[in-house]
Amino acid sequence: MEHLPYQNIKEQLQSCRSKEETFKALVTLSKTLIRLTPEDKIDSNLVKGCETAVWLIIDRTNNIPQFKADSDAKLMRGILVTILSLIEGRSTHEIQSMDLSSELAQLNLGSYLTQSRTNGVLSILKKIAQT
Amino acid sequence: MVFDPHSIRQEFPILQQPAYEHELVYLDNAATTQKPIFVLERLLGYYQTTNANVHRGAHFLSDQATSQFERARETVARFINASEKGQVIWSKGTTEAINMVAYGIEHLLDPEDEILISSLEHHANLVPWQQLAFRTGARLRVIPFTSDGLWQPEYANYFSDRTKVVACTQVSNAIGVQLPIQEVIHHAKQVNAITLIDGAQAVAHYSIDVSQLDCDFYVFSGHKMYGPTGIGVLYGKTDALDSLLPSQTGGEMVLHVTYQATEFNILPYRLEAGTPNIEGAIGLAAACEYLQKHDREAILQWEQFLVQRVHSLLENRTDIEIYSPRDNSTLVSLSVKTAHIMDLNNYLDSKGIAVRGGSHCAHPLMAQLGVSGTLRASFACYNTIEEAEHFANTLLEAAELLSED
Repeated sequence: MEHLPYQNIKEQLQSCRSKEETFKALVTLSKTLIRLTPEDKIDSNLVKGCETAVWLIIDRTNNIPQFKADSDAKLMRGILVTILSLIEGRSTHEIQSMDLSSELAQLNLGSYLTQSRTNGVLSILKKIAQT
Repeated sequence: MVFDPHSIRQEFPILQQPAYEHELVYLDNAATTQKPIFVLERLLGYYQTTNANVHRGAHFLSDQATSQFERARETVARFINASEKGQVIWSKGTTEAINMVAYGIEHLLDPEDEILISSLEHHANLVPWQQLAFRTGARLRVIPFTSDGLWQPEYANYFSDRTKVVACTQVSNAIGVQLPIQEVIHHAKQVNAITLIDGAQAVAHYSIDVSQLDCDFYVFSGHKMYGPTGIGVLYGKTDALDSLLPSQTGGEMVLHVTYQATEFNILPYRLEAGTPNIEGAIGLAAACEYLQKHDREAILQWEQFLVQRVHSLLENRTDIEIYSPRDNSTLVSLSVKTAHIMDLNNYLDSKGIAVRGGSHCAHPLMAQLGVSGTLRASFACYNTIEEAEHFANTLLEAAELLSED
């Protein structure tokens, strides 16, 4: 399934009026993630610091990097869809000049971003920002 | 059921608030319990009327603080039926108490010795022993308990002349099962091993009698039994405590100091370096008094009844696996085949229900069960039947929502 444009996702998440609505919105978004094959779900692609397994593959052969990501938890897959839609199609330089965490902080995701032992979104953003 | 949690519930101010737009349902009591006004007032009262450092300075407040602090030790000693108050050593909690023993007996261990633990331990009663084994060359051995926690005759084979230490939890934090600590202690004594029982998950629910148990050490935390955080207890038989080298040194634990040498103080002070957690000790003693004011057997039966109620709402579901026992448990530990633990945890949270999802600091036990984690709902005296049912029904709702692809 095609990802929704980031603006679209942002509006959806910002319109959630409760934690429950945010949870359901993320679960719905999770269904649009292109899942990884078992061959890609190897330890070297795991992002450290996440209690839910998160695999992130970045192909930087071109100026515009290609991202593939997956998780075993739906909520995390919803967050991955959100992050990918924000950075896909942009150059490495462009991504590095963006403040990803303050952008995500505007999405009402609250504790889903800060539960460090639970999902480690910070670790994901760090890996994305690496050159 | 004669017990009514609604009146007890009024004594816990924190439970009167909403979580998001829902009523707060607190079912993470195995992680930490909430605190009754009785304990909170004692803590506030200490700072409002008594605060001073203990065992030093002859002045009005210091005398008051010292006598309250030492009375707290007596209260805790009575609570666990220790024969002397000096057998109660204050610690930060269960973990520190276990470490005090693991470091304190290091000088007694040789490379040919063995340390025995059960396979149902959480990391706090595993890692300190593993590290002690690394430091001394001793061997760590694990009695392979099945998840029903029942004693099997072949476990006796693990005990031998080489067994120097036996450490075992009384109740599993991850799957709620009670371990046969009487048998464990009995077999340990036959080979003259030092015994330590981890009571962290037991003290809030069961009456503890260390004299009857006859273990060398018994450890627990205040915050899991309606007391404050940062205070716990290392109980030890007097000769067992005497054999420990202090793992921390400094002020308070000394009688006389020169640049060349130090003469240590007597028990319990020898093992309590530095200014102690005075408010914590007083708060923990208040928690003991609080529990003793109530019919503890009735509370336990109520908590176990809530667990049985959750079981009866979930046990006919083929997609739900329950790892904790239906009877004689105060917690439910489960997984849903089609949903990730953290998704379930987060959905319940969005409904105001506080549970714990994850490995419960017991990675080897999770590996034994073949799961990466479980979802745990753990009950306390203030939980109602409505809360137990709401948890089960919301879990079913979550399973429904999360099973769709």
